[in-house]
Amino acid sequence: MKRDPVLAPAVLVVWGAVALFVLYPLGRLLVLTFWNGGPSLDAVRGLAGDWTHRAALVNSLLLAALVGVAGTALGLAFALLAVRANLPRWIAHGLDAVVLLPLISPPFTAAIALIFALGPRGLISYHVFGLTRVNIYGLWGTLLSETLTYFPIAYLTLKAVLANVDPNLEDSAFSLGARRWRVFRTVTLRLATPGVANAFLLVSAASLADFATPLILGGTKFPVLPTQAFLQITGLYDMRGGAALCFLLLVPALAIFAGQRWFTERRGGSFVTVTGKVGAATRVKTLSPAAVAALAVVCGLVVALVLVCYLLIFAASIVRGLGADNSLSLTHYAHVFSGGLKAVRDTLVIAVICMPVGGLFAVVLGFLVSRTQFPGRRMLEFAAMMNYALPGTIVGIAYLVAFNDAPLALTGTAFILVVCYVFRYSLAGTRATSAVLAQIDPSIEEASASLGARRDLTFRRVVLPLVRPALLAGMTVLFIRAMTAISATIFLVSLDWSLVTVRILEGITNLELGQASAFSVLVIVLVYLAVAVASLTMRRLNAGSLGQAGTLLGG
Amino acid sequence: MTVERGQRLTLEHVTKRFRREGQSEVAAVNDVTLSVEPGELLTLLGPSGCGKTTTLRMVAGFEQPDAGRIYIGADDVTELMVYRRSIGFVFQNYALFPHLTVFENVAYGLRVRRLPEATIHARVSQVLDLVGLPGYERRFPNQLSGGEQQRVAVARAVVVEPQLLLFDEPLSNLDAKLRVQMRAELSRLQRQLAITTVYVTHDQEEAMAISDRIAVMRQGTLAQVGTAEELYRAPRSTFVAQFIGRVNLVESRVLARSGGRVAVALWDASLSVPGGDGYAVGQRLSLVLRPESLALVAESAKPAEGEVVVPGIVRSRTFLGEKVEYAVEAAGALLQVVAYDPTRRGVVEVGARVGVACDVTAVRVLGAEP
Repeated sequence: MKRDPVLAPAVLVVWGAVALFVLYPLGRLLVLTFWNGGPSLDAVRGLAGDWTHRAALVNSLLLAALVGVAGTALGLAFALLAVRANLPRWIAHGLDAVVLLPLISPPFTAAIALIFALGPRGLISYHVFGLTRVNIYGLWGTLLSETLTYFPIAYLTLKAVLANVDPNLEDSAFSLGARRWRVFRTVTLRLATPGVANAFLLVSAASLADFATPLILGGTKFPVLPTQAFLQITGLYDMRGGAALCFLLLVPALAIFAGQRWFTERRGGSFVTVTGKVGAATRVKTLSPAAVAALAVVCGLVVALVLVCYLLIFAASIVRGLGADNSLSLTHYAHVFSGGLKAVRDTLVIAVICMPVGGLFAVVLGFLVSRTQFPGRRMLEFAAMMNYALPGTIVGIAYLVAFNDAPLALTGTAFILVVCYVFRYSLAGTRATSAVLAQIDPSIEEASASLGARRDLTFRRVVLPLVRPALLAGMTVLFIRAMTAISATIFLVSLDWSLVTVRILEGITNLELGQASAFSVLVIVLVYLAVAVASLTMRRLNAGSLGQAGTLLGG
Repeated sequence: MTVERGQRLTLEHVTKRFRREGQSEVAAVNDVTLSVEPGELLTLLGPSGCGKTTTLRMVAGFEQPDAGRIYIGADDVTELMVYRRSIGFVFQNYALFPHLTVFENVAYGLRVRRLPEATIHARVSQVLDLVGLPGYERRFPNQLSGGEQQRVAVARAVVVEPQLLLFDEPLSNLDAKLRVQMRAELSRLQRQLAITTVYVTHDQEEAMAISDRIAVMRQGTLAQVGTAEELYRAPRSTFVAQFIGRVNLVESRVLARSGGRVAVALWDASLSVPGGDGYAVGQRLSLVLRPESLALVAESAKPAEGEVVVPGIVRSRTFLGEKVEYAVEAAGALLQVVAYDPTRRGVVEVGARVGVACDVTAVRVLGAEP
């Protein structure tokens, strides 16, 4: 629609914001890496001389691949059990609740719990099995911790994919004489293949970007890129070296991102389509009772391990020193609500500011990219996704490079923390908005226009109320991420504005694991409350069509 | 509701091109010139893809023409945004706001115009009475049947007292019985309000039932504009003849002409039909024979006064209750014949040898003036 008086200003504002807070910092990062009085590769070449940097690159890629494989396998097992095993409803819900835990926990949670469980004096390794030579630090510990943290991503992805494989297709294979294993191999798994590939890439990307777990469990023998970049800057004050390490991380991250988009967007590759028209209801028969039993054992063990981990965290928060002095005590919580109160308050203030700002940004962006036409629309969509797709360490260092000096000396302010979260975690809301709008016929907006409403009035009176579920989902994700994020914002905090996650890290490095646990428990409780409130509101908004967990945690 | 004559709508040389992926530009609407008189209901009729909906959407302002002008009354609205035109649009899927009640849906356009609350209440309940939905104010669209949603959509469109009322296949989502009932109601409502109306449909029966005039469209152009009767009796092209009702087109040629009438050959006979002066003796043309002006008679029957008879064999038969449709092979072609009231008149078997009698007063030359 030409001559629209509202569209152009809206597009300009959004483009301006994306340019300033996404493209500009990334540009500064690349300039710092490749420009030293002239084009220069010195910074990248300098990395090659140091074995830890070389090892970090290899380790990061190896870890991402291993976590991708393990996480996808585990996610597939959980998804098969959830969608293809005719579980009783309460077990299915219980499975979802447990799987949700790692997704909404602050970083380090799994890592601390694994130290408690499998460390040198670990509850399971030492006290149960009497092992003394278990080494949780290094590749295997990091792999285990990241797999436990990120397999839920694969689970949610594959659950949706498997749920959309029409059981009638399996029935028709049965009717042609195929037996269970053959049907599973040639129909079910074949149809889910693009989804499996997508899940692998998502989990690998999460692992590649993970900063918290290797910082705790990697130790000195297993350096990875995000931690090396962090140490290069905070330990050696070497911005250029940190930027160069970021560049090494940027290349595989972008490759995975491109691959993931290719898998989700290419036509003909995805066989699973949501037609809305489901065939006759039929009982799924592809899994034999023995297969269901085997899956149940594997998933049961993992669920038990996750629950033990969280119980250990909780236990550590209410005793003096878990494993050493197991007497009940509230000292850790006393600390949280005295010395730690400022961090809690700062985090909540920032999270609460982020919600409306980021939510509105998400909805406007989602509306612009899926309902309007303007030059550079696809470009804007892509640019707005960059901060989300890139590892937090890169974004954090880019912000540090761009916003540490005049004229834009913003690091350490609440403003930059909010901006960082808004541009990093609004994507879930944008996607939810696009999904909701895809279900709403454009004639609804045309009807409003035909009745005399301008584009802005139509947006306010028609679009905004209709995308309320998406807005809510987007705001919930922003709250969860603002409560739990660390990789980008650790570079941006200051004495004035601190974050709970940073206090958890301090607790761990000062070996005050009880305090770290108490902070973690507090964050988990707050986030669970937020998810519960959001779910209830969502139900009242009558938005049953949106997969709740999927939408909430799609990012 | 104030009864006020609507405005005249004029389209002058309106063209709209679309670029399909990997193809060259396609003119969805090509040089359409048309005017709709104040208070008139004009239907745009044609098969899917003929450009009728695109034309309607340009009148509404949802699409911009690439060339040509559109006037409502004396005002050139070609460049005007949708929301500045005074239109009421009824969508194929109704497009009711799912988050608003019936009352708020209907009140939407009034609220946009910032009318006082008392006026809004009065106008909404007045118009809900008009469409037969009093007491439905607090329901939500998903609590209504298809027919009720349709009425709300109409109420929402007319409550703002638009200068133009536009319907985009409004009945296509209703079942057959309801469709017939609703088209009578729409027709009554439109006459009562006397708002200039453009109505898009692909259903020729619906168009004939509801319209003052029909504009038949084909491949982006106007094929013929006229009343239902004109289009049926005097189609100007094969396309219109076949699109409006069922038809037998019989090849013929001009034998002689005099005083506005031409003598043409039909089977072995010659008959005189109305025709203009534009025909030359010997010229080839098509005759329009509607199936209901043909009748089955005994094979050996003598032609009655004003009839021409040709022998043939019944090839198929479709019994439809109040009528029977026959396909009869005669004079090297397959003729469609309709016989009404089969219970009283009996049914002819497939394979029977019959005569097909044609009422010569009903025969028209394709493309002749009415």
